[in-house]
Amino acid sequence: MSLIEIKNLYKSFGQEQVLKGINLAIDKGEIVSIIGSSGSGKSTLLRCINQLERQDSGSILYQGTDHSQTKNQIQLLRQKIPMVFQAFHLFENKNVLNNLILAPMKVLKLDKEYAVQKAMETLKKVNMDAFAHKYPKQLSGGQKQRIAIARALMMDPDAILFDEPTSALDPEMIGEVLTVIKDLAKTNITMIIVTHEMNFAKEISDRIIFMHQGVVYEENTPIAFFNHPKKERTREFLNLVK
Amino acid sequence: MRQHLLKIILFIIMFGIIVTLIPNNDAFANDQEDQQLDIVFYSSYNYQTLSQDKLNNINLDFYLPVYYENNKITYHIDSSYLALNDTIETISLRTNDGYENMDVYHVEIVKSPSIWKQKADFEITLNVTVDNLDIEQQYLGQVISSIPDDFLGGTIYTIIKYSQMFLDGSLKTLGLALTGTIAGFFLALILASMRLLNTTNQDNKYSALLKKGLNKIAGLYITVFRGTPMIVQASFFWYGFGLFGNPFYCGLFVVSINTAAYIAEIIRGGIQSIDKGQTEAAYALGMNHIQTMIYVIIPQAIKNAFPAIGNEFIVNIKDTAVLSVIGIFELFNQGRKITGMHYRQLEVYFIVAIIYLFLTYSVSTILKKVEIRMDLLPLEITSSN
Ligand SMILES: Nc1ncnc2c1ncn2[C@@H]1O[C@H](COP(=O)(O)OP(=O)(O)OP(=O)(O)O)[C@@H](O)[C@H]1O
Ligand SMILES: [Mg+2]
Repeated sequence: MSLIEIKNLYKSFGQEQVLKGINLAIDKGEIVSIIGSSGSGKSTLLRCINQLERQDSGSILYQGTDHSQTKNQIQLLRQKIPMVFQAFHLFENKNVLNNLILAPMKVLKLDKEYAVQKAMETLKKVNMDAFAHKYPKQLSGGQKQRIAIARALMMDPDAILFDEPTSALDPEMIGEVLTVIKDLAKTNITMIIVTHEMNFAKEISDRIIFMHQGVVYEENTPIAFFNHPKKERTREFLNLVK
Repeated sequence: MRQHLLKIILFIIMFGIIVTLIPNNDAFANDQEDQQLDIVFYSSYNYQTLSQDKLNNINLDFYLPVYYENNKITYHIDSSYLALNDTIETISLRTNDGYENMDVYHVEIVKSPSIWKQKADFEITLNVTVDNLDIEQQYLGQVISSIPDDFLGGTIYTIIKYSQMFLDGSLKTLGLALTGTIAGFFLALILASMRLLNTTNQDNKYSALLKKGLNKIAGLYITVFRGTPMIVQASFFWYGFGLFGNPFYCGLFVVSINTAAYIAEIIRGGIQSIDKGQTEAAYALGMNHIQTMIYVIIPQAIKNAFPAIGNEFIVNIKDTAVLSVIGIFELFNQGRKITGMHYRQLEVYFIVAIIYLFLTYSVSTILKKVEIRMDLLPLEITSSN
C-alpha cells in the first residue's frame, strides 16, 4: 500500500482546467521530484494534496483511505503531510521558537515544555538553534526556509510537500536549504518536491515526475529520466532548462 | 516671566469680588442735608460662593438705622423702588430681622449679564418716613468686579477660578474616550469575526445559514452605527430609554457601541490585509480556522490596525463633546456651564480648546511611542553562518 495515492484528480479555476486527471502513488520513504514548465499545475497538485485547494473530482488517499472529505480527515492529512512554501510564510507575529511550537501545541496538544524541548532539537537539525528567539523579519531567506522546514518537521510528518523551496532565495542561500533537505532525505521521511533545481532533483530523487499541461506527462528514475527522456515535450523542456 | 508672575499674583489677589456701593448724595442736590440718613451699605457678596442654584444672584446688604434722633424710622422699600440701568436686570430688596437697632435690607441683583464687567452702576430710591416727614432719597450704587477685562487676564482668571471644573470635565472626557475605545475594541473583534464568516463547501445547511445570518447582523450593525450621528444615538438611548438611569453610563455605552462599528471595519481591513500565506501556512500544518485566527491572523491584524485604533481614541476624545446633549458634564459641557456663570465665552472656549488640544496631542505622542515600541527589536539581518 502506498503512503499517498492520488486518484483521477481534476481541478479547474474558472474556465481554465489546471489538473486533468492526475494519478500518482507515492510510497513511504520515497523522494519524488516534480518538474515542469510554469503553469503546468505543479503547485496546484501539491496544494490539492494538502487540501489548500479543493479538487473538483478525484480523491487523495492517505494510507489507503480517502482523506479529502471531512474536516477531521483533512486536518489529519495536513498534519501528516505538511507543506513548505516558496515564500516561507513564517508566522510574522511569533519568534522562531513560537513558530515551531504553535501547531504542535494546538493540533497535537503537546504540552509546552515538551514542545520547546522538541523545538530546540529540531532547530539543531537545521542548524538554527542559535536563532530561537529571533523574529522572522530578522532572518535571511535561507534561514527562514530552514525554520519553515523545521516547523513542518515538528508535526512528526509522514511526508513533507515542498513547493519550490529555493526559488525565492538568493543564489548564495540556496545551498544551505538544499543541504537541509538532503540531510532529511537520509532519514526515512517521504518527500514530494516541486523544484527547478535539476541537479538537485537528479541527486536526491528516487523518481522524477514531469508535468505538462495538467497531466503527469512522463515519469522515471532520475538517471533514466535525464539521460533518456522518452517523449518530445520532455526533451524540449530539458533542453530549455540546461 | 516675572511680569507674568506678577500679573497672576495680582489676579489672585483680585480673585474675590469686590463690590462697593458708593452712596452718592451729590447727585441729588438735596436741600435738607441735615436730614440725610446715615446709611451703611455693605456687600455680603464677598462671602458668597457661587453655587449652581445661586448662579447669577448677588446679594447686597443695606444696614439702615431704625432710629433717627430718637424717632423711629419707617422705610417703604419695595423692589419696584429700584431704578436700574440696563446692565442690571432686577434688584430686589428684602428685610432681615437679625440686627439690633438696625434693619438689614438685602438687595438682590438677579441675572446681571454684565456684572463681571469692571463697573456696573445702579440706582436705588428709598422713601423714608421719619416723624411724619417723608424723605425720598436716591443712591447711586456701583458694583465693581475684579475679573480682568483683557483676554489674557480673563483667561488666567477663569483657569484659576474654575480649575476644578475644567479638571472634572477633562477626566470625564478621557474616561469616556478611553473606556469607550477599549470596550468598543473588544466588541469590534466579535463584529469583525462575524463579518468575515465565509461559508465553505464543508458547511452543512444549518451552519451555512447561521454563518450568513451572523454576517448579515454584523453588517447591519456596522451600517446603522456608522450611518447615524452619535448625538442622535445618545439622545435615542438616553431620552428614549433612560438607559442605565445615569447619563454618564448611558454615554459610555453609546461611545462603546459607536466606536465598535468603526473599529470593526478597521480590524476587518487589518485581517484582510494579512498575507494569505499566513493562513495557508497555519492550515498546511493542520490548524483549524479558529486557531489560525486567534494565534496568527488577529494578532497581526491588531498590530497593523493599532495606529488606526489609536486614531479612534483621539477622535473619541473630541467626539464625546456631543454627549453634552444628554447632560454629561464632560469638558465641553463644563465649559458651557462656566460661560453661564460669567459670560466670558471667548476665554472659556479658548481654554476648552487648549485642553482638548493638549489631550489629543499628548495621546497621539504616547501612541506614537507605543507604535515604535511595538515594532519590537531593531531590524538586523543576521548573516547565515
Ligand atoms: N487561485 C487560482 N486562481 C486562478 N487560477 C489559478 C489559481 N492558482 C493557479 N491558477 C492557474 O493555474 C495554472 C497552474 O498554476 P500552478 O501554480 O499550479 O502552476 P505551476 O506549475 O506551479 O507553475 P510555476 O512553475 O510557475 O509555479 C496557472 O495557469 C495559473 O494561472
Ligand atoms: Mg508553482
